Amino acid sequence: MTTLALYSNKGGVGKTAAAVNLSYLAAQSGAKTLICDLDPQSSASYYFRIKPKLKAGAKGFIRGGQQIYKSVKGTDYENLDLLPADFSLRNLDIAFDKVKRSKKRLKKILKPFKTEYDFIFLDCPVTISILAENILNAVDYALVPMIPTTLSVRAYRQLLSFCHNKNYDTGKIYSFFSMVDRHKKMHREIIATVSKTYNRVLQSFIPYLAQVEKMGIYRSPVAVFSPESVASRSYQNLWDKVQNSLLSPQ
Amino acid sequence: MQNNLKFKMPDGHNEKQFIDKLADQYALKKEPAVVEKFTICDTFDWRLFNNSLVLYASANRLFLRKLAADEILHSAEITSLPAFIWDFPESELKRQVAPIIKMRALLRLVEVQSRSVCYRILNADQKTVARLAYAEFRRWRRKNKLPLVTHLWLKPVKGYPKYMRTLAKQLQEAGLEINKKEELYFKALEVVDKKPGDYSAKINIQLDPQMRSDQATKVILRFLLQIMRINAAQIEDDLDTEFLHDFRVAIRRTRSALGQIKYVFPAKTTARFKKDFAYMGKLSNELRDMDVYLLKEDTYKAMLPPILRDDIDPLFAHLRKKRSKALQKVIRGLKAKKYTKIMKDWEAFLNKPQRDSAGASNAKLPVIDLARNRIHKKYRNVVQVGSQIIENSEDEMLHVLRIHCKKLRYLMEFFSSLFPRKKMNTLIEQLKKLQDNLGDFNDLRVQRDYLLDIIEELPMAQRQSNKMIAAIGSLVGALDKEKQTVKDAFAKTFIDFASPANQALFRELFASTA
Repeated sequence: MTTLALYSNKGGVGKTAAAVNLSYLAAQSGAKTLICDLDPQSSASYYFRIKPKLKAGAKGFIRGGQQIYKSVKGTDYENLDLLPADFSLRNLDIAFDKVKRSKKRLKKILKPFKTEYDFIFLDCPVTISILAENILNAVDYALVPMIPTTLSVRAYRQLLSFCHNKNYDTGKIYSFFSMVDRHKKMHREIIATVSKTYNRVLQSFIPYLAQVEKMGIYRSPVAVFSPESVASRSYQNLWDKVQNSLLSPQ
Repeated sequence: MQNNLKFKMPDGHNEKQFIDKLADQYALKKEPAVVEKFTICDTFDWRLFNNSLVLYASANRLFLRKLAADEILHSAEITSLPAFIWDFPESELKRQVAPIIKMRALLRLVEVQSRSVCYRILNADQKTVARLAYAEFRRWRRKNKLPLVTHLWLKPVKGYPKYMRTLAKQLQEAGLEINKKEELYFKALEVVDKKPGDYSAKINIQLDPQMRSDQATKVILRFLLQIMRINAAQIEDDLDTEFLHDFRVAIRRTRSALGQIKYVFPAKTTARFKKDFAYMGKLSNELRDMDVYLLKEDTYKAMLPPILRDDIDPLFAHLRKKRSKALQKVIRGLKAKKYTKIMKDWEAFLNKPQRDSAGASNAKLPVIDLARNRIHKKYRNVVQVGSQIIENSEDEMLHVLRIHCKKLRYLMEFFSSLFPRKKMNTLIEQLKKLQDNLGDFNDLRVQRDYLLDIIEELPMAQRQSNKMIAAIGSLVGALDKEKQTVKDAFAKTFIDFASPANQALFRELFASTA
């Protein structure tokens, strides 16, 4: 079982689109897959046409166990289930703060799912607080989408130094480029620099494309409504890279 | 989690009308039809069926499920349909099936095609909340025939239990029955004239205790003749080693019956057929020997030090060559006039009404009396010889005991329908343990001696390979060592068998009441 977070400390970088498309591709390959929508905005749940509702809300979520199990919904696709978001998750930070071993609570909550699923994807809200620490403790890998812009790179640097200061293993943090516009010289330059400067930068680019935005209209992964599109192929390429770089033994 | 529900469609139903009716109440989305092919497999003697298992291949996967249950126990990816257990991919499926099918070949019993159309049931958000799959099963390439079975599946989507409950209720109200029985398997086999479980080499006859002994003996022998016929017809195809094996066991049992069920037929007749079946047994001795060595190839290699494992290959290549010659010899033998005449005469004799004759003093005896007498006598033989071995264990004596045990076992199996089943099974189980020990000992001894002699047989070039000679030597040593271990276990095995409790049970069932 492998747990992967689509995580960033910066907003609007394409976390949810990546989580939805990657979890779909994982499930299509035959792996039992769960996507957990931790974002109170509930975009992943929306893409899968599932109501953002957790039994007993954020409190129930923190408690874990049977309640949360019952909240899981099957998506329209084989092997792919979703744990919906809930508006009360906006208070997740505060809720974590109140429990014992508060930084490892998410890991404990996800434990019962580990026997049932081959892959668990976490679609995370923007955070660099106790929730971020819970995520880093719970996952095998964190995938960080990075727009090739100065601010995005700066946020990434902040994340790495946060991990250093808090003693988290930066070895589980991988990044890939998102919302790339190859026509822009700056994008090309930043991609080149970042790839040289940092380790674990997957050479995979999700271009800035209308097809990705159309997920909101079709309410499904790109590969479902536009399987031959560039967007669909880009996510497939990213999934291949993830499998080859992270998941397959050397 | 709710389970899939399988409904039986009523006879003469109309798929379109049925779906249209549902569409009045639910938003439905029809998916493209999916056609799949299934190949159902089992061994000739229905080993999977006898364990309530169904094994089938579809696309590039093998699936194992329980009979009359729809959930898949295990599945595994395959590139082609495996013929033997050693062709299976390493998987849970293989581990579960291996001890059941052992060395038997998997046969393709029937090919079935399913055409299924899935309807997604949608809620107001156009989200799938349940699925209905309408599936028709036909024999492969019989597209225009009526389906063998038509099922409607109602499949839940996790997290939407209310829809599932409502739909299940509505379907039942519409006259559909939930169907838990196994239909497809039996119907598919029926169209190809196959009856699950119709062959077993185990003796399955019902005798009446008061029957004349000669008649009862003929019932037993006719059953054994059937087994010989069925298997002889398959030996030439060489699908697996067990057709020959079952054929040979039936011959051995026939010989044992002729020798052990004494004085039921005229002495001349008995003597003639004893000779005939001895000939038939001998015909395939060499082929069976080769089968045994080749089946043990992996076991033997595992006994060798890794450094010598590949050096034994020329030996097995030689044995394979010998086997294919031996097979041709058996095939010729089965087609020869002599064989045909023996079988014809034997069948004629078994079907002829019995006439009294001077030498057949037991012919009229009620079979129960003869059975008791023979089994009890043989049992005492076994105990007597076994006790002598405990005192003084010569290899030769173990061989004698093994033969006595075999005769006792056959007698008990011939007549088991005359005695309480549970008690009989207990005793046979006990006897089997002793036989296993003696059988292992004998096999190891015979194999060790065979390997010592075989070097002479090998082509000159190979005889000069020091490493091969070393490998054979190493194997002989390993077999000899194991033989000693088995022999050391004899005393305890025998004492268990001859325990006062078993002795009492033997006496209770078989000591003559007269």
